[in-house]
Amino acid sequence: MKRWAYGVAAVAILAAAGFMVYNAMSSSLVYFILPSEYAANPHDYDGRRLRLGGLVQPGSIVFDNEDLRLTFHVTDSIESYFVRHQGTPPDMFQENTGVVIEGRFEDGVFVSDNLLVRHSEVYQAPEEGEPVDLEALKDSLY
Amino acid sequence: MSSDRTTTHPLRPRPLWLNLLAAASLLLVGAGFYLGLVVSPPDVNQGELIRIMYAHVSAAWVCFLAVIIAAVYGMLYLWKGRPMDDVRGTAHAELATIFAGLTIIGGMTYSKPTLNTFWTWDAKLTLTALLFALLVGYFVVRGLIDDRDRRARVSAVVAIIVLASLPFNWMAAEWFRTLHPAKSFDVSASGVSDSADPIFRWILLFNVFAVAVTYVWFSIERIRIGRAQVGLEEQRETTPVTMREAIDV
Repeated sequence: MKRWAYGVAAVAILAAAGFMVYNAMSSSLVYFILPSEYAANPHDYDGRRLRLGGLVQPGSIVFDNEDLRLTFHVTDSIESYFVRHQGTPPDMFQENTGVVIEGRFEDGVFVSDNLLVRHSEVYQAPEEGEPVDLEALKDSLY
Repeated sequence: MSSDRTTTHPLRPRPLWLNLLAAASLLLVGAGFYLGLVVSPPDVNQGELIRIMYAHVSAAWVCFLAVIIAAVYGMLYLWKGRPMDDVRGTAHAELATIFAGLTIIGGMTYSKPTLNTFWTWDAKLTLTALLFALLVGYFVVRGLIDDRDRRARVSAVVAIIVLASLPFNWMAAEWFRTLHPAKSFDVSASGVSDSADPIFRWILLFNVFAVAVTYVWFSIERIRIGRAQVGLEEQRETTPVTMREAIDV
């Protein structure tokens, strides 16, 4: 009888833990959506916070260093959205870098309050005689 | 054990090779530091931050290795029931916990300046948090059970559950959309692939080797202490109560 009760308790606890892990995982599994996925069903996300992931479109970065307002286009080469972000760009933010932005759409503009960099798994040493040009990197932001 | 061992020291004499292994570990880690901090070039995008990668990835891979070995000793215990397999499994589980903690701390250090956040709940990080929580749970469970055989069997099962989560963690960035970058260096059925410069790969592999040797050294030291503990417990159990004062510490 006692064994039986312990068994039921163990199964109940495991089921609860499994359910919590499953819940946490299912939101983690789709960590961000792509611009084209948003474009397919925009009304699913009406008024909801979402993470949008894509590449920073070259030539689209504008940073106003007076009131720290950053705008750029995020693209998955199918769809592209205008992004407004309040804050300074992270160090590794540049053209063609992967980004994940958190926020919500307001009238077709993605208003972001958290800008994360998602860099590729390609690691490269600078060419011989070509130091990492931090100034050029910074310039590309303005 | 018979009671004639009450006067013997519970720790076995320290072999010379163990001291040599300790010295080799320290030398290797020192060389790894030199390679990572001085010899390694900066990365085109990350600059000097790439150097944190050597520490972070070494800790993570050795953590995985420790989990695998802890689970193998757990299976051996369930199969053969030898107390020493429990001692060995626990030593490796302790090291897995430490390296999991180092992986998370190193990852946070690396992630803030590169990805612009200390933590996020993507699949890779969630699974790593789960791994760490399960390993901590391993020791919580051990603390709750007094019976030695039951404790060893339950910990063996927990170690095997932790092992079951490893493939998902290992492949998380490949299978799911994550913020954590995918592996650049990968050994799979289709061969070795690498999207990083060879110099980064070789320095990383050297550091992984150095940390792995250090891990083996630590595990041997921990198992020596564990063996002495088991010896003392057995002595205590086989000694008449009236004589116990002689061996109580």
